[in-house]
Amino acid sequence: MQVVTTVAVDQSAELINAIDTVWVAICAAIIFLMEGGFALLEAGFVRSKNAMSIMAKVMVDIAFGGIAFFFVGFGVAYGSSNGWFAFDMNALNTDLGLGLTVSNKLFWFIQLGFAIAAISIVSGAVAERMKIWSYALYVVIFCAIMYPLAANWVWNPDGWLSQRGFNDFAGSGAVHAMGGFAALAGAIVLGPRIGKYKNGLVNAIPGHNLPLAAVGAFILWFGWFGFNPGSTLAAVGNWELIGTVVMNTFLASAAGGISTMVYTYFRYGQIDITMAINGVLAGLVAVTAGCNVISPTSAIVIGAFAGILVDVAVVIIDKMEIDDPVGAIAVHGINGMFGTIAVGLFAMDGGLFFGGGTELLITQVLGVLVIAAFSFTVTYLVFTAMKMTFGIRVTREEESAGIDAVTFGVESYTTFE
Amino acid sequence: MKKIEAIIRPSKLKDVQKGLKDAGIPCLTVIPVKGTGLQKGYSERYRGTEQSMILHNRTMVICIVSNDNRDKCIDVILDNATDNRLGDGKIFVYDVEEAIRISSRVRGYDAIV
Repeated sequence: MQVVTTVAVDQSAELINAIDTVWVAICAAIIFLMEGGFALLEAGFVRSKNAMSIMAKVMVDIAFGGIAFFFVGFGVAYGSSNGWFAFDMNALNTDLGLGLTVSNKLFWFIQLGFAIAAISIVSGAVAERMKIWSYALYVVIFCAIMYPLAANWVWNPDGWLSQRGFNDFAGSGAVHAMGGFAALAGAIVLGPRIGKYKNGLVNAIPGHNLPLAAVGAFILWFGWFGFNPGSTLAAVGNWELIGTVVMNTFLASAAGGISTMVYTYFRYGQIDITMAINGVLAGLVAVTAGCNVISPTSAIVIGAFAGILVDVAVVIIDKMEIDDPVGAIAVHGINGMFGTIAVGLFAMDGGLFFGGGTELLITQVLGVLVIAAFSFTVTYLVFTAMKMTFGIRVTREEESAGIDAVTFGVESYTTFE
Repeated sequence: MKKIEAIIRPSKLKDVQKGLKDAGIPCLTVIPVKGTGLQKGYSERYRGTEQSMILHNRTMVICIVSNDNRDKCIDVILDNATDNRLGDGKIFVYDVEEAIRISSRVRGYDAIV
């Protein structure tokens, strides 16, 4: 009798592991597809002469970033932490203290998806003018040390923000604000593309294939339904939570799209579809931190606010003569910060608007400010150091002729057969 | 031989092509072009920033015709390419020195009919 019971327990544990593995593996693969979304979105928003250089950058994100995250990044993020830092090269083989019911290796893979999503944010802001090898070096630094440190603070059970009760469910702060403020520093040090700003005037440099950019946004939108729900890291016992996360994620994105369309219609007399693309993504970014603890109504309010915030931010960033070809800073940086702070306002348990006082709000503000300042400062220093040594920017001739033709010897669209 | 070079609205191409075919001068070459006449371009907004001096999309139709067909060709284009307003385009007429059909190496007027 005793023997029979043990076997039954073993089987049910095995079943839980199997179910959770299927869930996390599917979500991880969906998250991985987001790289395709980033690539298409960014390629559509740049000129045709640089479209292939975007493909190259996103491949560098995945390949260089992935290997760096394997050798160093994962240990820095999830090794046994003193609160601020970890360096445990054996982390893959130890219990991470997260109560995982899936293999550490699968957990590594889904975390890899987050790391390369964060670095892909930067690739958009530095598009059309950055040297590929300098970018590859930065990708390695970002995925080996910078992003993993933020993940350590937020998601490692011993991280200082994790200990304070910081709620960043799928990474508005640790992924999007991290990537967005790195993008801001990168764009500042690189300087604008030739001809973008002249005598205090902003010259629009239109993207060459807006339907391609829209397809990229749709793929990212799809990917978010792996990104947020997959952050439950287990299906068994989480079925109600997964439902909440999925619904909130959708509601915020739709509200972001609506508010951008309405805002641009009244502001400019026409719906700006390229902005609506950013508005949807802004809603997604903003709800990522709090999708597990907010009500559906709050998700709509957060998404709608994010949709307007992104329009205003894109214009202000342009006025400051910071050239961000795809709007990465406004979408991921500004709205990542807003979304993280919004948790302190809208969380049903502990949020200011729901009678929870200011404690959670202060933690959220503090956490995201530290992440943003850290990301901005380190990126600024790394970019400046590279600029002063081997250079980060392509030559003037290369920029005029197009990076595709000069660096890669290809053209995206050949005129003759 | 004459070269008739007409810059027309892209939406008028089908009508012009049909008109030329019905008039018995069906050969033409078409190029998508951008340009402006006296309108000096127009303005558009891209992601919150106004762009000025954007060139209009037009289609250039090139016909090589015999001297006899010169006026017929021009009339067909005039009849079919107009909205009776600014921006309808222009027609230019040039002399052609020589024409050679590559497949048969026939030269001169015989090469274009």
